[in-house]
Amino acid sequence: MKTLAILATAMTLNAATQVITLPASSPLVTIKIVFRTGSSSDPAALPGLAALTASMLAEGGTKNKAYKQIVDAFYPMATQVSSQVDKEMITFSGVTHIDNLEAFYAIFREMILEPGWRDDDFQRLRDDQKNFLRVSLRGSNDEELGKEVLYNRIYQNHPYGHHNAGTVSAIDKITIPDLQKFYKERFTRANLIIGLAGGYPESFAKRVEADFNKLEKGTDDAPKLPVPKAAEGLRFTMVEKNTRSVAYSIGFPITVKRGDPDFPALLVAQSYLGQHRNSGGLLYNHMREARGLNYGDYAYIEYFPNGMFLSEPEPNLARRQQIFQIWIRPVEPATAHFTLRLAMFEFDRFLKEGLSEESFQRSRAFVTKYTNLLLKTKDAELGYAIDSRIYGIPEYTAYVRSSLAKLTRDDVNRAIRKHLHANNLDVVVVAQGCEALKNKFVANDPSPMTYNSPKPENILAEDKIVQVLKLEPSSVTILPVDKVFE
Amino acid sequence: MRLSAVALPLLAAMTLNAATQPQKVFPLSYDQSDLPNGLRVITIPTGYPNVVSLHIVVRTGSRNEVEPGKSGFAHLFEHMMFRGTKNYPPAKYEEIMKEAGASTNAYTSDDLTSYHATFSKEDLDTILKVEADRFQNLEYSPAVFKTETTAVLGEYNKNSSSPTSKLHEVLRDTVFDKHTYKHTTMGFLEDVKNMPNQFDYSRQFFDRYYRPEYTTVIIAGDLDSKAAKTLVEKYWGGWKRGSFKTEIPVEPPQTAARKAHVDWPSPTLPWIEIAYRAPAYSDTDKDGAALDLLGYLGFSTNSDLYQRLVIRDQKVDVLATDDSSHVDPYLFGVVSRVKKASDLPDIQEQILSTLNGFKDTLISAERLDAVKRHLRYEFALRMNNSEAIAGTVARYVALRRTPETINRLYDLYDTVTPEDIRDVARKYFAESSRTVVTLTGPGK
Repeated sequence: MKTLAILATAMTLNAATQVITLPASSPLVTIKIVFRTGSSSDPAALPGLAALTASMLAEGGTKNKAYKQIVDAFYPMATQVSSQVDKEMITFSGVTHIDNLEAFYAIFREMILEPGWRDDDFQRLRDDQKNFLRVSLRGSNDEELGKEVLYNRIYQNHPYGHHNAGTVSAIDKITIPDLQKFYKERFTRANLIIGLAGGYPESFAKRVEADFNKLEKGTDDAPKLPVPKAAEGLRFTMVEKNTRSVAYSIGFPITVKRGDPDFPALLVAQSYLGQHRNSGGLLYNHMREARGLNYGDYAYIEYFPNGMFLSEPEPNLARRQQIFQIWIRPVEPATAHFTLRLAMFEFDRFLKEGLSEESFQRSRAFVTKYTNLLLKTKDAELGYAIDSRIYGIPEYTAYVRSSLAKLTRDDVNRAIRKHLHANNLDVVVVAQGCEALKNKFVANDPSPMTYNSPKPENILAEDKIVQVLKLEPSSVTILPVDKVFE
Repeated sequence: MRLSAVALPLLAAMTLNAATQPQKVFPLSYDQSDLPNGLRVITIPTGYPNVVSLHIVVRTGSRNEVEPGKSGFAHLFEHMMFRGTKNYPPAKYEEIMKEAGASTNAYTSDDLTSYHATFSKEDLDTILKVEADRFQNLEYSPAVFKTETTAVLGEYNKNSSSPTSKLHEVLRDTVFDKHTYKHTTMGFLEDVKNMPNQFDYSRQFFDRYYRPEYTTVIIAGDLDSKAAKTLVEKYWGGWKRGSFKTEIPVEPPQTAARKAHVDWPSPTLPWIEIAYRAPAYSDTDKDGAALDLLGYLGFSTNSDLYQRLVIRDQKVDVLATDDSSHVDPYLFGVVSRVKKASDLPDIQEQILSTLNGFKDTLISAERLDAVKRHLRYEFALRMNNSEAIAGTVARYVALRRTPETINRLYDLYDTVTPEDIRDVARKYFAESSRTVVTLTGPGK
């Protein structure tokens, strides 16, 4: 508990000015400037506006400096300003060695407070944003594509209902005055949180606060979020593209977020069902380990982009609404139908049986300790501290530790029954030959499984049930990949 | 992990200001020693509290896959290592790791296979014990082996939607004739598909390479070096030394320019990579160090070419070098994603002209100095937690089996002059040792 006490004193939060400081004896300094706005505030006709505004600040020039001058100045310091845009948070971050703090901060400050709005930066960053959607997402990463289509599908007609980068056609309509308007209205003191961590001098926080007080005052004007309408039955969205395997994402909206009473229980349930990129989850054990169907299978209760590249989630993606999601990594087309059936079979069993006392104890012990690893850098610790402020919870590890200490197996199983279900959900499929696969789903064709090696009796017995499991899509939509995010 | 006010005495003392005495770029004291069986142990107290990061590096990667039809085997073997022993079947192993709240994983590259776990310091004893057991007593059935091979095919599948995976695969296949760098770590698809039939070879692979003389145990974090080393001796001391040595085929010199093209089936922006044969990693010979610096000078974000192609003309949106350090001679490559296929010839010409420019024009000492400072700060910013520290050391251990090579390399960077940059450009950028690979989507 001594460590906790140190933390409590180290983390100070000034409620009036929203400054979070985590001073430490370190040669590195992290600066985070967060605006509590994001793509959910994009005008209906201009999805992608928040993202382009943020990249104009982080990757464009200032009033007095062309972008090249900024790059040249940052280069010997080996640093940069990065931006992350989500539905309700825009985060600008930079990490610098203490040797360079003054020079780095002078430019960082200018980039956020005095953007240059140059046309050449605009053209370049607009192209980048379109190419991100067209090439990186649609063309190079079937798994992330499936996950993002799932979010779009669940949040139709909702402020979360478009990709953070917008749509290709809408990006072309965005003008520099649109960006300036968004900046003036949303990048305001009312939405601002300043975060500092590391070995900065004592007077530094006051200076940063005074500098950012020059922003417009603004108002807290986050859009109202309607309750997302859950799918009726199993709603399939299939993305047709030239690819050698089949990727699945499955999910539905939940009403639980960090800080809510059932969040700790669902955190343990999620870990038991499919802890991200860890072996030993229920889905992983039964789908990959026992049957070798794919590279891994995981479950989520919070938004976790770029999961294929990250072992741990990025902070600063706080949302007022979350979904529950199952991620099935790509499978061979010949086993695609069986794999989906098995995922639903395992999920259904998880819903019915919940966690045994032993599984509960083990998963709870894991989450309690694992949470410490999420905050292994000062940078991450600051990110989590900002999120905790937004969710209105104590320091994150203390929050998890104390909530989990009180948790019982019954709490977890009750939360599973209350918040998770297998009846009404969205299934997103990225595949080649969607029409044929759709016909198999709709006809409920049996999907007998064959293996390249002998399997234990219990697996074969389960397979007999799984291979004829009824999936019964309530609707199936097939989208050519070039229409997705278009 | 979180840092209390007393943490990090070593890092806090570190400054990279030019005005002060040059410091070692790897700022931490460490202990390095060999057990009688040949296992190397490196312990690094980092000053970051509570957590320990364990990286077990086997100096075996796809480079060691010398037999035809066996590409991808080092990586497959990495998967097999999670299939348990008599004492700790997979479920038991998972249970122990779960109770420790450990973040565990492994990766394979050309020159190494690394198994890593990060966890609370009180679990070090248990985890060293369990890990030592699987390195010495791995046991799996032919059935389990076959099942795991299909998970590896699943990994191939998830990578296969990326055009850069294919570009890289074709580049290596085009450049190399004899050396095992010809194939990627994933291996050729036909070999991956044939893996289920290679159970016996998999046991042979384990017997050859999973031996103490190939292995280094790196422990970084909140630890006492002496106590940690005693634990390693206790659990790993009985591991038997092997005798196998691989003869890696030597790649003959390239005598003529080569090229290849990939028709990618899905829409993509076109890619181009221009690569030259380059020397093996060295912390004593300047050529590799000078080429590293040349890469930064020619193609990083503040370079003339990047500023022209990405920022001003906006003809490409990716421009980067591909020159990672390898045990054997590898490549110096420049890779770019081009916005219009019709610009490919022009982009190729501009990259070549930049490379050739280094042969005639001496770069300024000032620009070279900016790159050297960039490298040192880049390294310092990376050392921000025990896992990152152990992970960085692991990559260098694959090359020279000691963290000291990091200091030697960065000291070598400091000695590189503008003349050295000119000389390596003249020595390595000959047309006859060049390979160009392009990739375009349907309809260009």
